[in-house]
Amino acid sequence: MKTLKLWMLTLVFTASASIGFAQDGKKGQEVKFKTSAVCGMCKATLEKGLAYEKGVEKASLDVNSKVLTVTFNGQKTSVEKLKKAVNELGYDADDAPATPRAYERLDECCKKDAVH
Amino acid sequence: MSFKIRQAFCAMAFIWLLVPFLASAQNLTGRVVDAATSNPLIGASVIWLGTSQATSTDANGHFSLKPAPAGQKAVLVSYLGYKTDTVQVEGRESITVKLKSITSIQEVTITGKQDRYSALSPTNSQVITAMDLTKSACCNLAESFETNASVEVSTSDAVSGAKQIQMLGLDGSYTLMTTDNVPALRGLATPYRLNYLSGTYIEAIDIIKGTGSVLNGYESISGQVNVRLKDPEKSDRLYVNLYGNSLAKWDANVNTSFTLTPKLSTVLMLHTDQLANRVDDNKDGFLDLPLGKHYNVFNKWKFNSGERIVAEVGLQALQETRTGGQVNYRSGTPQQEGSFYGTESETERVSGFSKTSYTFKNKPYQSLGLILSAGRHQFDSHYGPRTYNGYQNSGLANLIFQSAFGNTSHTYKTGLSYQLEDYQETLAGKELQRRERVPGAFFEYVYQNSQNLTLVGGLRADHHNLYGWVYTPRFNVKYDFNPNSIVRLAAGKGFRVANPIAENVASLISNREFIFQNNLQPEKAWNLGGSFTQYFEVGERKGAFITDYYYTTFQNQVVPDMYSSPNQVVFSNLEGRSFSKSFQAELQYELTELLDVKAAYKYFDVRSTYNGQLEQRPFIPNHRAFLNLGFATPFDKWRADLTAQWFGPRTVPMLEQQAEGNLRTRTVSPYALFNGQITRAFKRWEVYLGGENLLGYKQKNPIIAADRPFSQDFDASMVWAPIMGRVVYGGLRFTIK
Repeated sequence: MKTLKLWMLTLVFTASASIGFAQDGKKGQEVKFKTSAVCGMCKATLEKGLAYEKGVEKASLDVNSKVLTVTFNGQKTSVEKLKKAVNELGYDADDAPATPRAYERLDECCKKDAVH
Repeated sequence: MSFKIRQAFCAMAFIWLLVPFLASAQNLTGRVVDAATSNPLIGASVIWLGTSQATSTDANGHFSLKPAPAGQKAVLVSYLGYKTDTVQVEGRESITVKLKSITSIQEVTITGKQDRYSALSPTNSQVITAMDLTKSACCNLAESFETNASVEVSTSDAVSGAKQIQMLGLDGSYTLMTTDNVPALRGLATPYRLNYLSGTYIEAIDIIKGTGSVLNGYESISGQVNVRLKDPEKSDRLYVNLYGNSLAKWDANVNTSFTLTPKLSTVLMLHTDQLANRVDDNKDGFLDLPLGKHYNVFNKWKFNSGERIVAEVGLQALQETRTGGQVNYRSGTPQQEGSFYGTESETERVSGFSKTSYTFKNKPYQSLGLILSAGRHQFDSHYGPRTYNGYQNSGLANLIFQSAFGNTSHTYKTGLSYQLEDYQETLAGKELQRRERVPGAFFEYVYQNSQNLTLVGGLRADHHNLYGWVYTPRFNVKYDFNPNSIVRLAAGKGFRVANPIAENVASLISNREFIFQNNLQPEKAWNLGGSFTQYFEVGERKGAFITDYYYTTFQNQVVPDMYSSPNQVVFSNLEGRSFSKSFQAELQYELTELLDVKAAYKYFDVRSTYNGQLEQRPFIPNHRAFLNLGFATPFDKWRADLTAQWFGPRTVPMLEQQAEGNLRTRTVSPYALFNGQITRAFKRWEVYLGGENLLGYKQKNPIIAADRPFSQDFDASMVWAPIMGRVVYGGLRFTIK
């Protein structure tokens, strides 16, 4: 009983400790992708999805221009990895097409070529 | 560019802009937008009503439709995930159509805030989302309502660990439970039914107060709880949830989903929970929670032709054993004076349902649906020296045709249903048998004007082989004073055949004699009520205020009287009045970017006639309060929830020193319960830690005569507060989308 509690606490602490500290210099790099996002819901999906990517400090999508601006730490991630992350959320990033399965699972209104 | 040239250019441009209007004066042009956000809807279809002449909107939501064939004065505008609308266009060349979104689960999940009160549905309904379900101790339906103010969950007795829901101050059996809108877990499954669906199977839960629609039968009296199971098309490829608590109870859940072809998908969901640790914290010699093993599997299939046919099939099988009673009781210990008292139950249940819907060509508002379901529920149990065994076989067929009169302001649903139930119970050697065959027909008409009024009128006629014709009318009205102030009224009748033993299993854990008055009749009740919803914004933060009042009055009720005599439970038809008055006021507000608050006050006045006297129903406090604080950092990386429930003073019977035939009661003090949980989310992992009943409030001596379990006085059913003190739990979730 006591040990279980301890074990749980340890689990939570180690989990939160793994968010390490980065070196300066590589922080605050910025990249822009042209995506296939079409609506406000896509914005929420993309920004939330990227927030969970390692090394991402900030992500924001401008729905009108479809441009996603990502601020990241080059020490922990790369432009390629970020592109892949966008694809796995179901959206194209520049020339890299969306992962088909992820695209299929998007809501109807988020599909770029939704035809009804 | 000189000034003149610029002027000429502007004039030219202006004429060019006019050209489309001049050249095709009869073309209907316009725009289709989302009613809530005014965002353009891309690819919405616009069709002359009753023809095949159609077009769809472009990237800005604009469309242009060729002139109508002779006589068409209306277009039908439809878009997936939105309510189809018919628009009268006579004499107009350009229209703007605002489509209302059908509150899709996805939408709710994205915004993922508190359970919301729907602004669209004609009934007083709210949704608990999958996100909300992760806020409280997982892993079954009983724990799913912890952060919701409308549904209450209470422990039924001090031995079996069974939990019951309550709505409007009425027992859970008056609430119709459906899974994917198919009636489920009825009849003999009642005692432990909240354990039969794992939280991980659930996409969302709809709670509807009042009698609701006639489509799902005649049974709902206080309301409906609809559990939406995971959608195979949208489920994660892999979802694992592991849970353990300080009593050494543990849970494991695995969901996996496959897309076999673009049209066919399936989700397979497994759940088990186990408790092998004997806990007796209150030192009364009885286990506070029964030992148990539970295995549960659910498999759901979905076929979506993409065009007009959608079919779903769900199959469930479960097996559960529970052993409770005195700490030293072991399976097979003889149940007699001088031995150890024990309870055991073994349940096996298999059930399945299928739903098929066919949408007619070019008539998105017209469809035909067939729902089939069947199940077998079997259990063997003993509560001390008393054995209680039984089974129930059920079958249900429901055929629903949906269409419109003229245009989609007037829609209707009509159809036929057939229900069969085969009940067999044996209690201490006494056999009870019942076979129900109920064919029925129903009709529901919905009027919706384009702005602010919805009327729903429904009627069912069923022919019950034991009780003859049953008529159930139901009405719902919704009126929007403006988009933020909505009033709803509801009136309807409900009918159900009670299962007195299954609905009062708690009383089996006593040595009371069960006495059934002859000729118990079905229960019938009217439920009348209304609600007022006000959405508001204060300092750019959204909130909602919801208040409702419901009055339920029984024309007949099977009244279990365990109060007039300490040694008996007498089941009789209602003689006199029995009613419930329920008032609730709830406030939801986003206090800061990160903090949501939900507070509610509830007042219940529930009375029944016992022995010719109209008395307060014991155990139901008049006043209750509820407070929920929900904290979440951006993107929900950290979430924390704290829920407090306060129960006012309540009347409980005093059985220890009671003369026959007169109810002696005392009042017990108010108490409060606190639950809390913290969750940390990563890309694929979530870790959570929480506690239930944080202050550890417990009922002292919940079991009467716990030291003499085989004597006349023994009774474990007089329970009004938790049996368990503080329980700490933790776990993790892992998802591959």
